Amino acid sequence: MKGILIGMNAIKWGLLSTFAALFFFSLISCSDDSNSDKQVLSEKAIHFGLTSAPVTLDPRYATDATSSRINRLIYQQLVEFGPDNKPVPGIAVWKQLGNKHYRFVLVNSPDNDEYQSLNSQSPTNVSRFHHGKLLTAYDVKATYDTILDKSSASPHRNALKHIERIEVLDQQTVDFHLTRTDPLFPSFLAIGIMPADLIKSGHSFNQNPVGSGDFKFSHWPFDGQLFLRRQSDHQLFEFLKVKNPTVRVLKLLRGELDLIQNNLPPEHIAFLKKETDIHFLTQIGSNYSYLGFNLQDNDTGQIQLRQAIAYGLDRNKIIQYALGNAAKKANGFFPAQHWAGADLVDYDYDQIRAVALMSELGYSDNKRLQLTYKTSSDPFRIRIATIIQSQLKDIFIDMDIRSYDWGTFYGDIKNGQFQLYSLTWVGIKTPDVFRNVFHSESLPPSGANRGRLMNATIDKMIGTAEQEQDLTKQAKLYRLLQQELHQTLPYVSLWYEDNIAFFRNNIQGYQVSQDGNYDGLKWVIKND
Amino acid sequence: MLNYILLRIVSALIVIFGVVFIVFMLIHMVPGDPVEVMLGESATSIDREALRHSLGLDQPLWQQFFHFLQSLFSLDLGQSLHSQQAISELIAARIGPTVELALASLLVAFLIAFPLGILSALKKDQWADATAMSFSLLGVSIPNFLMGPLLILLFSVVLGWLPVSGMNGFDSLVLPALTLGTALAAVLSRMIRASLLEVLNDDYIRTAKAKGLSRSRIIGLHALRNALLPVITLVGLQIGTLLAGAVITEMVFSWPGLGQLTIESIQKRDYPVVQACILLISTTYVLVNTLTDIVYGLLDPRIRVG
Repeated sequence: MKGILIGMNAIKWGLLSTFAALFFFSLISCSDDSNSDKQVLSEKAIHFGLTSAPVTLDPRYATDATSSRINRLIYQQLVEFGPDNKPVPGIAVWKQLGNKHYRFVLVNSPDNDEYQSLNSQSPTNVSRFHHGKLLTAYDVKATYDTILDKSSASPHRNALKHIERIEVLDQQTVDFHLTRTDPLFPSFLAIGIMPADLIKSGHSFNQNPVGSGDFKFSHWPFDGQLFLRRQSDHQLFEFLKVKNPTVRVLKLLRGELDLIQNNLPPEHIAFLKKETDIHFLTQIGSNYSYLGFNLQDNDTGQIQLRQAIAYGLDRNKIIQYALGNAAKKANGFFPAQHWAGADLVDYDYDQIRAVALMSELGYSDNKRLQLTYKTSSDPFRIRIATIIQSQLKDIFIDMDIRSYDWGTFYGDIKNGQFQLYSLTWVGIKTPDVFRNVFHSESLPPSGANRGRLMNATIDKMIGTAEQEQDLTKQAKLYRLLQQELHQTLPYVSLWYEDNIAFFRNNIQGYQVSQDGNYDGLKWVIKND
Repeated sequence: MLNYILLRIVSALIVIFGVVFIVFMLIHMVPGDPVEVMLGESATSIDREALRHSLGLDQPLWQQFFHFLQSLFSLDLGQSLHSQQAISELIAARIGPTVELALASLLVAFLIAFPLGILSALKKDQWADATAMSFSLLGVSIPNFLMGPLLILLFSVVLGWLPVSGMNGFDSLVLPALTLGTALAAVLSRMIRASLLEVLNDDYIRTAKAKGLSRSRIIGLHALRNALLPVITLVGLQIGTLLAGAVITEMVFSWPGLGQLTIESIQKRDYPVVQACILLISTTYVLVNTLTDIVYGLLDPRIRVG
């Protein structure tokens, strides 16, 4: 009995401690967070919903889409991209002085007419870093030098490996000397410029970024919540990660978020489009979704099978019903409006042709082909996989879907442990991607030739296109290459998903870009 | 009793070491490479090797494990491979919200489970019992990923009383705590009912009745005390689970807890963070269960003798 009483006392004290601790933590949550919340509310912050949090705010190391998009707001870059994805001046204009020699001139003086015309949409003086120093050619050199430094292990070093040296001529002029000719070179200089003094002092840009862009870093309480302040009017912006799409939509409806963009299932898109308090904007996207094959596999290595799958997929129906018409059919890496985009003949849905091709391979309703399709654990990707599985059933293919967490899935794809998979290339601007993805020298881990395509003709075409100095002629060669790839079918092109933004009716001025960046926030206004 | 407590502590340490070792081995064995995730596919082999070397990932596995243990003993959890932030800072930022949510959920569970369980036992086979147990069944059956959005829809969107998600003060704690708490309450109330029913048929309860004690005194002082024995074990296990991170609830409510950090780190193959999180989770789990065992031992001498 004594033991029981001791035990009961322990329980009693346990419960009391529980309540006390709860009270304590409630106080903590009420004080700190509500203070910051009140501050945000009192400042009428604009709340932007994200699907994933940025990994790093140091542009030298950013590879994920969210980090890159937010870094674009904090930092400025030498080069931007036009509507046809050709490089256009960012904070610098350039001239090719020789085959291997480019000169970039910063136009960062507010009095400079050229600068004014280039930055007419940006009302602020963005030539200074947020800590007050002027952005000069020395900062450009320091930024690219650290990327090229082997010890920095920057993921962008490979793209810039042909830079032999960077020479500063004066405060505004910097020369890039290359080891080989490359007409695409300016396209690779789209990395945010960082201040040389802070690079030298080993400043942690990841946690406390200092750039010269339209947005200044404010605070980052935890990885799912980031605050930036717009320089022009000191408007505060909250970037809040809300992974669950349903919750993201509900937060928008309730006004806890002002803006959300992309990554919504079609039923959510349809629901939001009917809401009177919510407005939306769409823009044709350029992110390329595809079905990838393992070309070393006995089954998927056969061209007839790949063609049968291409004809057997009814992409129109998938786009209509599973993507809510928020996508455009793709035939290749680049949409037709891209400067190197090709106008290719579509693999239209043709079940009879697909069945005939499968019959040629000896398959019938009695002898069905078993294939394995790998995908990530994202519910939307699994849904798409299930639809593909259902469509291929009609052409004698039984598809086994296996979904894995991202790390395992990505690891398997890189190691060639797959027959079929589906992924999306995000933010691809330049045709140098063809070497990385389809050249026989680019087998993982040396590149992204995940399907193990070994084709001498394609290798030669890639090499020929790369050597061409004239961009117009180069575009023509890349179009021929895309035609060849379209015949060889290492990928079945699926679609370019549209970029779609939903925002509350007190939000004005937002623009959606082709690549889904957040640049529209530079002009957005929240009314009372 | 001292021997019993010492035995429990030693076995707890062995379990923690075992968990840490197994997790270390498993996370290194599963496909996926942090270097690949960090650098993407366009990096050169030289860059990959340089990064692998700088992160110490080129060392043999046993050596990496040894370094991990070494740094543990010097209370240094290391740095995140991805963000380069100190892991202690990452965990410190997450532990508060996790504990807060766990305790609030436990409170919600107690507030629901005790009245329901006692009511069901006292009104056995009556409509009150059936109603309470139906509620309990509902609580067990509805998964958190459904319960969360349903509560959001009702309390945030329709009624507009509470925020949808996030961690902005006390009101944002209510819905996640309710989501987790109702599920736990459902299990607890059934356990309390069953346990109380068993105790109510014991001789000493009949004796108490014969002595003319009031019904509330019999239930509160005698029956409930003894009926709580199996409930303690269950609560102990559940506290461990709650502190380990209620990942789904954290995801639904964008609650920046330890569970989310663990899952995200696993996806990014951020080995040091995964190891640190698992170490913390397993230690908490084992600690709570060891304490439960000790309390149980105090309550029931047969256990410590056994």
